[in-house]
Amino acid sequence: MADRLERLTNLVAVLLDTRRPLTLEEIVERVPGYPGERESYRRQFERDKSTLREIGVPISLEALYAFDQETGYRINREDYELPALDLTEDERVALHLAVTAVRLEGGAESAGGAAGREALLKLGGFEGRAAPTLDSIAALPDVPALPALFDAYRHRARVTFKYRGDTRCLDPYGILFRNGHWYAVGNDCDREAIRAFRADRIESAIEPGPPRSFERPVGFDPASALRDEPWRFGDEAPVEALVLVSPTQAGWVEADLGSKAVAERRDDGSVVVRMAVTNRGAFRSFVIGLLDHAEVLGPPELRADMVAWLTALAGEAASSGGGAG
Amino acid sequence: MTRPDAAVRLRRLLTIIPWIVDHQGSGLDDLAARFGLTVAELERDLELVPFCGLPPYTPDRLIDCEIVDGRVYLRFAEYFGRPLRLTPAEGFSLLAAGQALLAVPGADENGSLASALGKLAGVLGGGDGMAVELGAARYLDPLRAAASASERVEIDYYTFGRDEVTTRRIDPRAVFAAAGQWYVDAYCHRADDDRLFRVDRVRGVRPTGEHFDPAASAGASEGGLFHPRPSDRRVTLLLNADARWVPESYPVESVEETPDGRLRVVLVANERAWLERLLLRLGPSAEVLEPAEVRAEAEEAARRLLVRYG
Repeated sequence: MADRLERLTNLVAVLLDTRRPLTLEEIVERVPGYPGERESYRRQFERDKSTLREIGVPISLEALYAFDQETGYRINREDYELPALDLTEDERVALHLAVTAVRLEGGAESAGGAAGREALLKLGGFEGRAAPTLDSIAALPDVPALPALFDAYRHRARVTFKYRGDTRCLDPYGILFRNGHWYAVGNDCDREAIRAFRADRIESAIEPGPPRSFERPVGFDPASALRDEPWRFGDEAPVEALVLVSPTQAGWVEADLGSKAVAERRDDGSVVVRMAVTNRGAFRSFVIGLLDHAEVLGPPELRADMVAWLTALAGEAASSGGGAG
Repeated sequence: MTRPDAAVRLRRLLTIIPWIVDHQGSGLDDLAARFGLTVAELERDLELVPFCGLPPYTPDRLIDCEIVDGRVYLRFAEYFGRPLRLTPAEGFSLLAAGQALLAVPGADENGSLASALGKLAGVLGGGDGMAVELGAARYLDPLRAAASASERVEIDYYTFGRDEVTTRRIDPRAVFAAAGQWYVDAYCHRADDDRLFRVDRVRGVRPTGEHFDPAASAGASEGGLFHPRPSDRRVTLLLNADARWVPESYPVESVEETPDGRLRVVLVANERAWLERLLLRLGPSAEVLEPAEVRAEAEEAARRLLVRYG
């Protein structure tokens, strides 16, 4: 065991130190611990190489000399080394608090929490003692697609992936966490429009294109690109709906829609809110969420829509009130 | 076969050596705590270091590791002067955790965390395109204050599943964000049990002047938010293609695709109001397979809502 660790450590040192790529034979000659027979050391080296790549050591395969067929290995220092961050002690304490207080959690294969701690080690380890009261102030889901999406986002690489059965293409301008979900936000290259994709609904590996394949618009704000208030995002003719909300739900609805949406406050504590609707299905869902605490007052067509929808669901016993079998 | 232990230990060495190179004379205790190891594990790793270096592996080409009075000194390890770059998963996870903590209402936007994240983003690249929102809720601040001071409070709470508001005294132990919501983990005196309350459904918070002993009870939130029991009511639905969001949004016990491209899902639905909302929203996109009384309940709910339009 120690032998292999020793060999791996020496392999990293040799590949970092060399100024030109080393052939497999040169590596085996310089790094002790490889077997003598060619097929055996070749296999051994392949295993070592994949272990190094697994932990993120960037080994490149390059031509030995210009125009040369023969190739060799080396580690480019600028690909290997973490640039200096010059974190202060307070900043390291703050990051330590963050990985203690925020859990990234997912299924069994989730590595998010461990990855955050590994990152912290590279930045100088756990500074200070995280306060116990801060234990887990937030839990965010860890989604397999996220590291690859993040990598594409920071390198401005166009990505393709499968999403709800279709192959989609995205220039990822940003990554957003909202309402408990992660979204990749950017330019949908097929539809030529800003779109948000829920990362947990991506059905395949992320296929990245070359880096720097797009420019991110100046001042792009991922938060503004995601659609809140789904009833406002549709292509139906816009109408302004008025909804009466009972006192018990009035405060919550006002907080959700904003005070500007309140058209009328009644003495009993109920409110009438104004909603701009271009997606009737989403509007109906919102109102139904309030059950008998809400009523569509107008316009007449939306009120009639709601009555028709509910009547269809009320069954044959709509007037008698009896149960159906 | 890759032996995970060698990979783990190598990663550790490549992280610890640069720190010591930069901080000569660090104490073994401090190093062990800093890197999450026992002193014995650290010593075992450091024992290996003097055997590593460059050909021809003469003393001046091997790393010189000295431990004097519990303090560690390294020489001839210049090629290990910097730690490895962060992997995409590491960079993303640290940035996400930091941004999430910064998104907690009341966080200092100009404090150490913010400046650390600025430096981190500068090194990782990408600019300011990553954002974490945890949302806000009207009574978040008073509940967080009560939890941190172990103050018993009285709350008005809207129970979504039963569509009613009740008043209860609670001992709030912790307030946390999960699954897109803020929750209070508390002992509820009305239920005489531990409960999780959604902060956005709290309709009022009043002090009681009493305190509770935070060490007295363990906590309700361990292991997730939703635990179906065998006795819970199961409902089987047949969903059309436009209702595929249901299993993505709610915990379901099973999902099967039917030959005609619909989904047969079994979900746990104890709370009547919750199920009413779901079925009234889905309308013709869902068919209740069983139990039969749920069909009748949905119809009755539709009639009840229609009363307002009478």
